[in-house]
Amino acid sequence: MEEKGAAEAAAMSGGEAGAEASAGMKVAVAVDASEESLHALAWALDNIVVRRGVSSLVIVHAQPGADHYVYPVAAHGIAIAYAPAAAIESMRKAQDEISRKVVSRALDACKQREASVNATGAILEGDAKEAICQAVEEMHADLLVLGSRGLGKIKRAFLGSVSDYLVHHACCPVLVVKPSKAHDK
Amino acid sequence: MAEEAGTAAAAGESGRMTMVVALDESEHSYYALQWTLRHFFSADGQQQQYRLAVVNAKPTAASAVGLAGPGITRGAADVLPFVEADLKKSSMRVIDKARELCAQVSDAVFEVVEGDARNVLCEAVERHHAEMLVVGSHGYGAIKRAVLGSVSDYCSHHAHCTVMIVKKPKPKH
Repeated sequence: MEEKGAAEAAAMSGGEAGAEASAGMKVAVAVDASEESLHALAWALDNIVVRRGVSSLVIVHAQPGADHYVYPVAAHGIAIAYAPAAAIESMRKAQDEISRKVVSRALDACKQREASVNATGAILEGDAKEAICQAVEEMHADLLVLGSRGLGKIKRAFLGSVSDYLVHHACCPVLVVKPSKAHDK
Repeated sequence: MAEEAGTAAAAGESGRMTMVVALDESEHSYYALQWTLRHFFSADGQQQQYRLAVVNAKPTAASAVGLAGPGITRGAADVLPFVEADLKKSSMRVIDKARELCAQVSDAVFEVVEGDARNVLCEAVERHHAEMLVVGSHGYGAIKRAVLGSVSDYCSHHAHCTVMIVKKPKPKH
């Protein structure tokens, strides 16, 4: 899985993190297109950046690889995975667009609230759980902030929970922000 | 039975955010407390923005003895007072150590609440109107977690506030 964004995030925030490593902490916030993750970002900004000890804030977005869009096709009883190159390309471009929008929406939310935090964005490719885990390790984040969809136990087992995986496998403390009560069913 | 060492003032007063930190005897929860203090309560002249509540859940003597195994049930009644005294002692030790660590925090409350850790913590969050709960994690794998139960898992799903799970980093990285 290539992480084209992670390398540039490391380069961008590497300089700043080095300067203020002792004073502040480096916070990574994982976002996707959902409202909950934006709410998590807002919560983190309101409650953690308030402290003003945050040296850098990195928004990470994991973009599912184009493999997701390759469906097996049964032909004469044999299942093969068929995906024309052009389709993959356009899928990838559409995904890139969406990722860029998600990250820029998140960065806007940062700008609106606090001008004093260096917020950078990173787009990672591949399976969300592993990509975020690896990125957090590479950028030596002090804290990872996630939203939570508030799934029940059964849905969680079937749909898979990124926040569950990251809580167990991330190398740094993980903060899980619940949806606000108004959204609770 | 909660013994409160300080007043639990109404949240939202002076715009401070309340954090509940869960503590037991394990190294992992002390590490979580120290990490939280280091990053959120540093005493470098900065005005402290958060209120701290340290909660230790003391298991009831009956549940602790029950865990030891079915063979003990016959003599259980005799053992209970000793178990109870020992549990109280260990909770006191935990709170004393916490007090030492939190010496520079201006607004800290220390509590020992009896009951199962999962419920105690969720209820403490409600009581303090906390915006955040901090728990350590033993770092169990999936099987141990299923057998022994995981307080941090339960809390992250059931607490009504943000939950921060602090793990001791593995030394071999």
